[in-house]
Amino acid sequence: MASSSARDVRLRGVGASPGVAVGNALRLDERGRQQFYYLDVSPTQVRREVRRLHEALDQARAELLEIKTRLTRELGYEHSFILDAHLLMLEDARLLAEIENEIRARRVNAEWAVRAVIDRVAEAYRQVNDAYLRERTSDLEDVAMRLLTILSGRDKFELSELDEPVILVAKDIWPSTVAELDFDRVLGFATNSGGITSHAAIIARALGIPAVVGLHDVTRRARTGTPLIIDGAAGEVILRPSKALAREYARRREQADARLERVIQPTEAAETTDGGRITLRANVEMPAEIDALARFGAEGIGLYRSEFIFLAGLPELPGEEEQYQLYRRLAASAGEAGASIRVFDLGGDKLTLKGFEEEMNPALGLRAIRLSLRVEAIFRTQLRAILRANVHGRLRVVLPLISTISELREAKRIIAEVKQEMAEANVEHNATLPIGVMIEVPAAALMADLFAKEADFLSVGTNDLTQYMLAVDRANENVAHLYQPLHPAILRALSHLVRVAAAARVPLEVCGEMAGDPLQAIALVGLGVRVLSLLPASIPLVKNAVRAVSLERVTALMKEALKLTTASEVEQLLTRELPRQAPQFFAAWAGEH
Amino acid sequence: MQERRINISNRLGLHARASARLVRRATQFTSRIELERADTGQRADGKSILSVLLLAAARGTWLIIRAEGEDEERAADALAELVEQKFGEELSDGVF
Repeated sequence: MASSSARDVRLRGVGASPGVAVGNALRLDERGRQQFYYLDVSPTQVRREVRRLHEALDQARAELLEIKTRLTRELGYEHSFILDAHLLMLEDARLLAEIENEIRARRVNAEWAVRAVIDRVAEAYRQVNDAYLRERTSDLEDVAMRLLTILSGRDKFELSELDEPVILVAKDIWPSTVAELDFDRVLGFATNSGGITSHAAIIARALGIPAVVGLHDVTRRARTGTPLIIDGAAGEVILRPSKALAREYARRREQADARLERVIQPTEAAETTDGGRITLRANVEMPAEIDALARFGAEGIGLYRSEFIFLAGLPELPGEEEQYQLYRRLAASAGEAGASIRVFDLGGDKLTLKGFEEEMNPALGLRAIRLSLRVEAIFRTQLRAILRANVHGRLRVVLPLISTISELREAKRIIAEVKQEMAEANVEHNATLPIGVMIEVPAAALMADLFAKEADFLSVGTNDLTQYMLAVDRANENVAHLYQPLHPAILRALSHLVRVAAAARVPLEVCGEMAGDPLQAIALVGLGVRVLSLLPASIPLVKNAVRAVSLERVTALMKEALKLTTASEVEQLLTRELPRQAPQFFAAWAGEH
Repeated sequence: MQERRINISNRLGLHARASARLVRRATQFTSRIELERADTGQRADGKSILSVLLLAAARGTWLIIRAEGEDEERAADALAELVEQKFGEELSDGVF
């Protein structure tokens, strides 16, 4: 077994959530495949086996209901519906009759009967020429394993009662796993499958836990207890690190922690050394991230990407009630600072719409507000849910991909109509709902002064604005190098937006990845942006950067930057000057990047 | 016995969530509920999710719902309505 003791084994994966974790592995699939034995039972014991089966079913049902409650609370109903199917499988009279029959007719123990019958059903599913149905065998297996674990009487591994901090190693991290986890004791994730949009990746980023996904066979190479290092930024996992290497990474981890600790106090403000007050809000996709708001000191939610419920694999459009529950929770958690809900930012590529053809160029196609105005029923349902939830907090709506004033007017007309219908029908709602325009199309950026007269606020999405202004798809590796957020054209657009918003006295905020990068966030501040919205886990870092700089000096610096001719000149200026202006933050930070 | 012939019109057909809703509704009635695929004649117990899933009824499939028992008429109507309304979605214009 020389290979299994080899040191410093490096595995490359996809960096899904930045940060360093050093610890011991906990391999999650270990409770999966236990052996179940065939036992002949006497006729008198048959009744006992049937009773054991029913007791196990009751317990399994209770466990699933508990998980469902927890999952709905932590991740939202969209991840919990599959548990309904699991519950129904446990209640399936035909399945129960068949298992009972197996016990009675063949006089076998309950474990064997469960295994045999579920294997037969799974086989029938595999025979059907339907990929979706074949995948449902994993749900059946999940149900079978729950029953068998209860029946076999072994101590179920309690994920919620971890004794020491661990790094989870698993094939994938599923919603039902997450529901059972104690996150304070999870240092990081390493998974076989998944890309940066997988469940595991999203959950890790939401909770600020380092993660590497797409490692293919990490569950084979590491077992419970194997020491390992996760380097989330590099997308690397190092198994059985040498002492020197483990020390080095532990030191990096401590440095990062120490830098964050100074400002992790949510009560401390994002204030520059000369008293400039910056508001840092959170970008949120999943309900699980809501709990992280207070932890990371977010001042409300600057961008809730409401379409995420579709991307999470939900097969159907959620109804008004389901949306209401979600928005209500958002409203309550965001508190006084409020939450901006961006209405569904979807294209035909995400939904199969009856009567709509696949588009040659979806980025420029029927999507976002264009789709909402075309298929009004979806828009109206979402608005009703938002207006009802608004009773419980301060919600705002943001309209994505606006390119003409008439789209804003049309959306406002619909919102007014929905309010009136609700008032006439005596539906409880709060009609005080500020309407914002997402500035991400160059046309909207150039006409921002006109939008500022008719909208309640402007929200700049730098990712899409950069993509559309520079005509670059950054996912296309042939042109990704041309995607430059510090491009002079982008800086000019941002400077223009700050000016017109101030002149019209409407709030302006910037969301997008620029706001989450300390250097670029300070560039935004220097351009005059005062409200940034970013990933919850990035807030402490950016807050630290803000607290290290002087508003006066970064404003002067960006005046210089606006005179430059290329993105790399701007970047050079910033990487040279910011460490001089704020060595306590940027000198250390620049050393690592 | 009551019979209703309906077309599965939601995008994903009788997938897990839709099947779960159908079975939940079916179990609220005392009548025996049977589903049959009009094209293949394959039958399923409407109160068993494993049996309903096995129909693998995609969008466009014609289904015959049969209810037999004391509340057969209400049961058949309720289930047909559920399918027609795409399993509890609000939108009725066939968008999704």
